[in-house]
Amino acid sequence: MELKNKKWSDEQFYKVREEVLNQWPTGKEIDFQEAADYLKKVPEHKNFSLKLKKAKEEGITLAQPRAGVALVDAHIELLTYLQDEGGADLLPSTIDSYTRQNRYNECEVGIKESEKAGRSLLNGFPGVNHGVKGCRKVFEAVNLPLQARHGTPDARLLTEIIHASGWTSNEGGGISYNIPYAKSVSLEKTILDWQYCDRVAGIYEEMGIKINREPFGPLTGTLVPPCISNSVAIIEGLLAAEQGVKNITLGYGQCGNLIQDVAAIRALVEQAEEYFKAYGYNDIELTTVFHQWMGGFPADESKAFGVISWGSATAALAGATKVIVKTPHEAVGIPTKEANAMGIKATKQTLNLLRGQRLPMSKELEAEIALIKAETKCILDKVFEVGNGDLAVGTVKAFEQGILDIPFAPSKFNAGVILPARDNNGAVRILNAGNIPFTKDILDFHRSLLEERGRYEGRDVAFQMVVDDIFAVGKGVLVGRPENK
Amino acid sequence: MKNKLVLGVIGADCHAVGNKILYHAFTEAGFQVENIGVLSSQEDFINAAIETNADAIIVSSLYGHGEIDCRGLREKCDEAGLKGILLYAGGNLVVGKQEWSDVEKRFLDMGFNRAYPPGTSPQTTINDLKKDLGW
Repeated sequence: MELKNKKWSDEQFYKVREEVLNQWPTGKEIDFQEAADYLKKVPEHKNFSLKLKKAKEEGITLAQPRAGVALVDAHIELLTYLQDEGGADLLPSTIDSYTRQNRYNECEVGIKESEKAGRSLLNGFPGVNHGVKGCRKVFEAVNLPLQARHGTPDARLLTEIIHASGWTSNEGGGISYNIPYAKSVSLEKTILDWQYCDRVAGIYEEMGIKINREPFGPLTGTLVPPCISNSVAIIEGLLAAEQGVKNITLGYGQCGNLIQDVAAIRALVEQAEEYFKAYGYNDIELTTVFHQWMGGFPADESKAFGVISWGSATAALAGATKVIVKTPHEAVGIPTKEANAMGIKATKQTLNLLRGQRLPMSKELEAEIALIKAETKCILDKVFEVGNGDLAVGTVKAFEQGILDIPFAPSKFNAGVILPARDNNGAVRILNAGNIPFTKDILDFHRSLLEERGRYEGRDVAFQMVVDDIFAVGKGVLVGRPENK
Repeated sequence: MKNKLVLGVIGADCHAVGNKILYHAFTEAGFQVENIGVLSSQEDFINAAIETNADAIIVSSLYGHGEIDCRGLREKCDEAGLKGILLYAGGNLVVGKQEWSDVEKRFLDMGFNRAYPPGTSPQTTINDLKKDLGW
């Protein structure tokens, strides 16, 4: 199939659908009409889109954890605990890594071993293996909207199953679930596969069923400059809108400098709205998600709560519609349900204290917003240019040419030349822009900020700064300084 | 002659950041590193070790499935003619916060020479490598 940013025809969609539903036996359980009837009966308070829309109108920030285990009953126990004890506003089902690679046979092993061991040997919920039956059981057992959160380059079957099960939101996108999550899957393939996922949501939307879609904002979660993640978010938002998606949540991962983080969210909303309008998508309900710090965490649990609360405060001050919550076990991997609930409680306490407050506009904030928007525009203009106006084609070409380049990504289709580092105030700047098409003014500005840090630290601007920055938060500071500073 | 290492992230795991840093650190420390990157199978590790005539295989796992993914690697190395090759594993090797001594024992019982908890500095592994390789 030729890649184009164009709404799939029914003929195209249903032809591919036949193949998708045959990828694993549980695919055959899905009947579109029956699924639509089921979704129409989802009560308002369990619909993701409606809950986000209400939060946006009320100006509050919702808290959502990550969570998933191998077995249905244990997963229900986990989610119920996060709902009742943790006070989560929205629920996830984090999908395990074998499912993300479509290795359903290995999921079967993981499910059986987990039954035997009495603990989860999988790092998430294998939604495809449990099928509509298992996923509906989970949905019916909880009292909040449910979303699949994963990292699946080809999530077509998973998407079909979760939506048919009453889960009204799906995270991911053709770029954001490829470049940070795969090694050798082509972008043509993942953009097509995510057009399919978006189209599923679009078809339900046309039947009057509200489905939320959320491109994965933080990408590699490691020193990603705001203009890079905002560019990807806007592209994936536009690609989703073309397939008929109406309720879109664009995301951003906390970098750590308050002004930069608030500016990133404000720039994202303003610019995404401009692009949606400019390309004729006039009825998009846009919300935002702020991810608490995605990099290395301190192992000490009290220190981890400090990081969690800092992210929560920033999310509130930025006015994000929801925040994705970390836990005090982040440094050692997947948390217990108790630790997960503690993360939500710390988050909600901070959100409640800051309810209604926004970071007021200042000269610094205004300048940072303007900078991020200018950088993002440089990138997006070039993406459209190399695609001869077609955003999907342009995205593939932009990655080939390093116009889009995501730091520390595993994909061989990513140039991987870009190197970010923090400036003296902890904002993420660009040490090596590679082929990202910034103006000379922007490049010089980044360079001067890093030079300033270098002078303060008495060392050259070099790769060691990047390494130090990656480890810094785990060690308790934002900027990775040499030991004597 | 430089000692040769095979470095990679095993299984369906795509955590790339630590892998890039380890590559950088091991190379700086004077090893010749064949980095097979993320999403690597046991076979990928073994094939790379045979091709490069490696002295050690360093397995990273960050996502919790390490326990399943690493099983049988020692036996497969033996079958492939890599008897006695050094096998290290490190990262977030299991699902959840578990007692490290239990996790370490599980990996040593599987035939790994050393296992490392989360947050281990690359320097620790470099010192152990030098010791085990008789520098």
